[in-house]
Amino acid sequence: MARSGDGERAPQVEDVFSADGEIGADLAVVDWAATPLGPPDGWPQSLRTAVSIVLSSRFSMWMAWGPELTFFCNAAYRRDTLARKYPWALGRPANEVWAEIWGDIGPRIEKVLTTGTATWDEGLLLFLERSGYPEETYHTFSYSPLHDDAGAVVGMLCVVSEDTDRVIGERRMATLRDLGSDPRVVRTEQETLAFVARQLERNFRDLPFTLTYLFDDEGRARLAASTGIPTGHPAAPDVLDPDDERAPWPVSEPARGEAALVELDGPPFGDLPFGDWSAPPAQALAVPLPQQGGAPVGFLVAGLNRYRPLDEGYRGFVELVAGQVAAGIASARGYQAQQRRAEELAELDRAKTAFFSNISHEFRTPLTLIMGPLEELRRRLGDSDARTREELEVVRRNGLRLSKLVNTLLDFARFEAGRMQARYEPVDLSTVTAELASVFRSAVDRAGLEYVIDCPALGEPVHVDRGMWEKVLLNLLSNALKFTFDGSIRVAVRAEGTHAVVTVADTGTGVPAAELPRLFERFHRIENARSRSNEGSGIGLALVRELVGLHGGTISADSSEGVGTTFTIRLPFGTAHLPADSLVPAAGDLAVSATADPFVQEALRWLPGDEPDDPALFGPAADPGAVVAARVLIADDNADMREYLARILTGVGYHVDTVDDGRRALDAAREHVPDLVVSDVMMPRLDGLALVAALRADSRTASVPVLLLSARAGQEASIEGLRAGADDYLVKPFAAAELLARVRANVELARLRGHHARWRTALVDSLQEAFFVCDADGAVIEINTAFTDILGYGADGLPYTPVHPWWPDAETDPEAHGQVAAAFAALLERRQGSRTIPVTHRDGHRLWISAAINEARSPDSGRPVMVGTFRDVTAEHYAVQRDTALAALSTRLSEATSLADALTGALAELQGLWRARSVLAAVFDHGDEPALTATDPSAAWHRLTESRRRALTELRRHPPLTPVGEQTGAGIRLNHPDGPLVLWVDTGDHRPFTDEDRLLLSLLAGRLGEGLHRVHQLDQQRETAITLQRAILGPSHLPEGFAVRYQPATSRLEVGGDWYDIVTLPDGRIGIVVGDCVGHGLRAATVMGQLRSACRALLLQDPSPARALMALDRFAASVPGAICSTVFCGVLDPATGHLTYTVAGHPPGILALPDGSTALLDQGRSVPLAVRPGRTRPEAEFTIPARATLLLYTDGLVERRRRPLDEGIRQASQAVHDGRDVSVEDLATRVMSGLAPAPGYEDDVALLLYRHPAPLEVTFPAETSQLASVRSALRTWLGKCRLPVDTAQGVLLAAGEACANAIEHGHRDAPGGPVRLRAETSADHLRLTVTDSGRWKPAEPGGDTRRGRGIRLMRAVMQQITITRASTGTTIDMNLRIR
Amino acid sequence: MNTPLTLTPGTRPDGTARLTVAGEIDLSNSADFARAVEATEGRLLVDLTAVDYLDSAALAVLFTHADRLELVVRPLLMPLLTISGLTDLTTVHTTTPDSAHP
Repeated sequence: MARSGDGERAPQVEDVFSADGEIGADLAVVDWAATPLGPPDGWPQSLRTAVSIVLSSRFSMWMAWGPELTFFCNAAYRRDTLARKYPWALGRPANEVWAEIWGDIGPRIEKVLTTGTATWDEGLLLFLERSGYPEETYHTFSYSPLHDDAGAVVGMLCVVSEDTDRVIGERRMATLRDLGSDPRVVRTEQETLAFVARQLERNFRDLPFTLTYLFDDEGRARLAASTGIPTGHPAAPDVLDPDDERAPWPVSEPARGEAALVELDGPPFGDLPFGDWSAPPAQALAVPLPQQGGAPVGFLVAGLNRYRPLDEGYRGFVELVAGQVAAGIASARGYQAQQRRAEELAELDRAKTAFFSNISHEFRTPLTLIMGPLEELRRRLGDSDARTREELEVVRRNGLRLSKLVNTLLDFARFEAGRMQARYEPVDLSTVTAELASVFRSAVDRAGLEYVIDCPALGEPVHVDRGMWEKVLLNLLSNALKFTFDGSIRVAVRAEGTHAVVTVADTGTGVPAAELPRLFERFHRIENARSRSNEGSGIGLALVRELVGLHGGTISADSSEGVGTTFTIRLPFGTAHLPADSLVPAAGDLAVSATADPFVQEALRWLPGDEPDDPALFGPAADPGAVVAARVLIADDNADMREYLARILTGVGYHVDTVDDGRRALDAAREHVPDLVVSDVMMPRLDGLALVAALRADSRTASVPVLLLSARAGQEASIEGLRAGADDYLVKPFAAAELLARVRANVELARLRGHHARWRTALVDSLQEAFFVCDADGAVIEINTAFTDILGYGADGLPYTPVHPWWPDAETDPEAHGQVAAAFAALLERRQGSRTIPVTHRDGHRLWISAAINEARSPDSGRPVMVGTFRDVTAEHYAVQRDTALAALSTRLSEATSLADALTGALAELQGLWRARSVLAAVFDHGDEPALTATDPSAAWHRLTESRRRALTELRRHPPLTPVGEQTGAGIRLNHPDGPLVLWVDTGDHRPFTDEDRLLLSLLAGRLGEGLHRVHQLDQQRETAITLQRAILGPSHLPEGFAVRYQPATSRLEVGGDWYDIVTLPDGRIGIVVGDCVGHGLRAATVMGQLRSACRALLLQDPSPARALMALDRFAASVPGAICSTVFCGVLDPATGHLTYTVAGHPPGILALPDGSTALLDQGRSVPLAVRPGRTRPEAEFTIPARATLLLYTDGLVERRRRPLDEGIRQASQAVHDGRDVSVEDLATRVMSGLAPAPGYEDDVALLLYRHPAPLEVTFPAETSQLASVRSALRTWLGKCRLPVDTAQGVLLAAGEACANAIEHGHRDAPGGPVRLRAETSADHLRLTVTDSGRWKPAEPGGDTRRGRGIRLMRAVMQQITITRASTGTTIDMNLRIR
Repeated sequence: MNTPLTLTPGTRPDGTARLTVAGEIDLSNSADFARAVEATEGRLLVDLTAVDYLDSAALAVLFTHADRLELVVRPLLMPLLTISGLTDLTTVHTTTPDSAHP
């Protein structure tokens, strides 16, 4: 290689530069004589050695030598770092070469030169001017001293690797990660922007300043947030008009969805902030804030780091930031829209309250106009007939009741509006209270209760509003009377210190302890309490508490069930607690106002003595001979008799109905139950005795007294009649007086007997729950008013036989019908229980009722009956259904790992919810043919019916979230990230789609839309993360012989903490690293990236696995989250298979040997990283035999729950053993799939395979002169394979023949074309492939003996030969089984 | 560059020709080998003791002159000569460690 000498230079001088032809040549032409080093022939040996080392290294290095630190570098350094400064820099003083960073590196070099110790810097920021501008770069490097021949330090050597991409990539990833740190928390738009700003402010290097503009309705852009730039800065105007030419930022490009690059050189950019740098940005990028399915919502202006080029990575980063900002805004706006809806609903509620109080107010005028003239009428008609007076009385009582209710409602409305005007005057509270209490005396007396009014004078006045105090006391008294059936009511007033204490105590039914806390709640009514009346709005006590509160007082209740209740009111003496402007002087008028009247009237009406017929109809106006105003039904087939009877009875005041036979009598009695039936025994159709029996059999008429008339005299006849159930028996002819006496006696007797029945009827009717009685066959024979209120079916339709008319229709809604039928059957069979079932109101609408039923025995007939009650739980039912469905859908969506998965899951949920025949979703992502997803996997758009397709297409233009229904299903439109989505629920014929279903569908569609949007966001984040992961994962190009796999855990973000690395070292050996950081996801990936880079750098610097991991121990100790990472680190000599390795807590490598056995690399073991920094790590050695396969992996491959690790390692060994004969690439695939658990790997898995020796691949020009060197390479490789000599010779021969053929025939028309030889081996096989790019000419018989002989030879030595001729070339593929 | 090959013609004590070959014979240099063989007449002993590779091109030369050749080869090459059928036509001696020459 020596150049012919020119006599001036000794050969060894030029050898100094010979290690690298290119750099060496440039070094050789440097005028060294002009440098302190002088001409190279005078250089000391130490300098020559150092220069050779630098030049021969493939590692980026530079060195400096001598007093001026004269600069040398190698090719790698030129390429990676020096760039344009080459070759100018060669031979110059180092401080001139690196003037711009001398401030950083000068002191370090100085330290090396003075102390003789090396420095180590990781990721040091340096601004290099290698590309024509100062560039932000990061370097990891060490400076080590260089000694002269005498051992003195005269220079330094720098080994450097550039980390710019890694450092900047990690920084940007951190920002993106922080921005997406919690996409589920919905914030307001403002909070979102503030959150974003906080994150962006953490990265002033990539984003020196940012401005977020949002478009308003007029198309202007308004500044919504900014970072790094003060408000009011000329470059940050609050509003940007798209038509304003002078606006600093473009508006129309981002509005169209395009990014725009802005040079920051105009006037508004005079005083821009610097971010983390020492100069302001020179450019800014305006990127749109994208919105799914719509125009951008705004744009983000990002000031750009002037020290980095705006390359694809930088631009992508800014766009991803904008994407995150936009996603945050979209989510916040969605949330706000929901909030607004909720507020609208609340407003509606308030409006409803206002409406009701207005209505109440409107009632007052008409009520006055009713009550006034009514009083007038009563006075005028005071002498008229009893009936008129009674009816007027009814009108008056109910008028008063209505007034009272309206007044209470109005009081409340005043409270709500703060308009309750009180006038507090000083009164003697005892006197006022006693006066008010006395108003109730008559009612209390009539109820048979003891009434104690214990009100001694207090000695000092209490300020009260008289009207309010009346309401307080009257409410309490009326309450006491209502709930007290025996014992006493006591009203007492006392002075206790600074308070007057008023107590109203009763011995009534009391209040259950659980209800006490809610006693004063508005509209709260105590269910099932025994009381005199079921009337009441439930607001009396609430009003009392408000009124007492206005007086600065308190009210409390003390009660024991069955013992009684005491209300205690405390009112302060004096006026300090009252507003001064509401105080008035004493009026001195003690008369009780008209307020009391309705209370007393109402109370009196609860009491039995106040039955309407009592005073009114038995009053003095009645005829002297009259008896009772009862309704008598006369049944006789003889018209004369009927008339006679009617005349007698009407004459004394009875209401009389007449019918001419028993059948009609029965119908009439059922329709309107009479007080007495007078019936002839002998009648057509139904005789008297049968009539009695029929009446007694019907619970409604069972207690009606019957007086039988018969022409038959005699004891037997009367006994027969009485036995049939008649109450009395009269034999014709009879005297009118006798008839009247008997009728009167029976009516009075029946009244006594009927009292109980009526009481029961009243009780049943007062139940708020629907009440019904069925006979043993399930026919409903009695109902109350609540029943009618709820179901719309009245008593006039009784009996209701099954199938009851309220059952859902078996034709149109078989499912609901079936539910009711099943419940009904179960109830009849078990005779008790409760069920919630769907029923149909008489007007056709769907109800859900919760029914309970019990067996009882009819007191009248003694027969078993079923007594049941039910409540209307429709609202509850649908609320529960909605909540459940929404929760289930949310769960489905949160479990989804992709958009498609989310949609499929949601459809399945909807199908289950409605038990739908099918549910389908058409996404109109582009064009008219939508992408179809359906619960039926075979569904396809073109297979839908024409009408369905049309309906779906039409729905697409419908307003979103508005269901459209038909008999067999419903559809709705919502927003899918890819475009409008039309959902169709096909319920089939088995149930109609009701209004409630529509509401539910709309809610679910809304939730689905939000969910899809969120999954879409996650999808995008995952893509970002995967891109980043790939960027920092292992090498993209592997040396021959290796195969690798990486599979992250099946988590949301498919990134992880496992890694592999294969690095070719300067000495030709190969560093192999497999590691595993704790945890998954982005966080682990970040740690992994740092460890991987560090380990690679360490191995390159010093190819000792143990020392590399010891240094990595120290490094990992400083990286959060790196502690306890496990690593296998080895250095392999690919020529010999010799492997040096060390293991930091990592599972052992597995070897499949050619003899069929397996072994583990279980030496060299120590603890995981950074657990014991400083501890010496062992190093083990092993020579991988020829044709053996090595598997390295992370524990995700072998670790399973509830299975020992050994078992996993055994399985992995088996898999490698079984695959020892397939290529490593196929083996990698086989191991990954073979060991994967059914649901996929739960942990990250990294896997690395190596088979020794690596395959040989030689490409050479098709010339015979190449044969010898190809053969030589193959011979060397065969040596590594350790084949028997004969076998190797045969392979050599076959390969030689194949190559010769390729040269001779394959390229006869194009000599010199490429021929490729590939040889690879596995445990038991060897495979040779020779490929040319030419065409063999067909063999001529006997023409070409050499070729024929060649092929015969190949066939003789190799077991299997395939020759494939194609237009692109010919391939000879040969296989040999070894042994 | 063709595969290196040394061809040394000579005469045996009995006056017949000898060709001593060293190196490898393949397609690139088989013509040289052929010429060297063709340069001789009558019986010829081809000493291939120093040859450790022959390919079909070399065999072609040997077959062409099979009936007047006698070969000395290393045992390594015997399988090739047997497979190709040359041993059926020509006398082939193999060297042994202690008899480098016949």
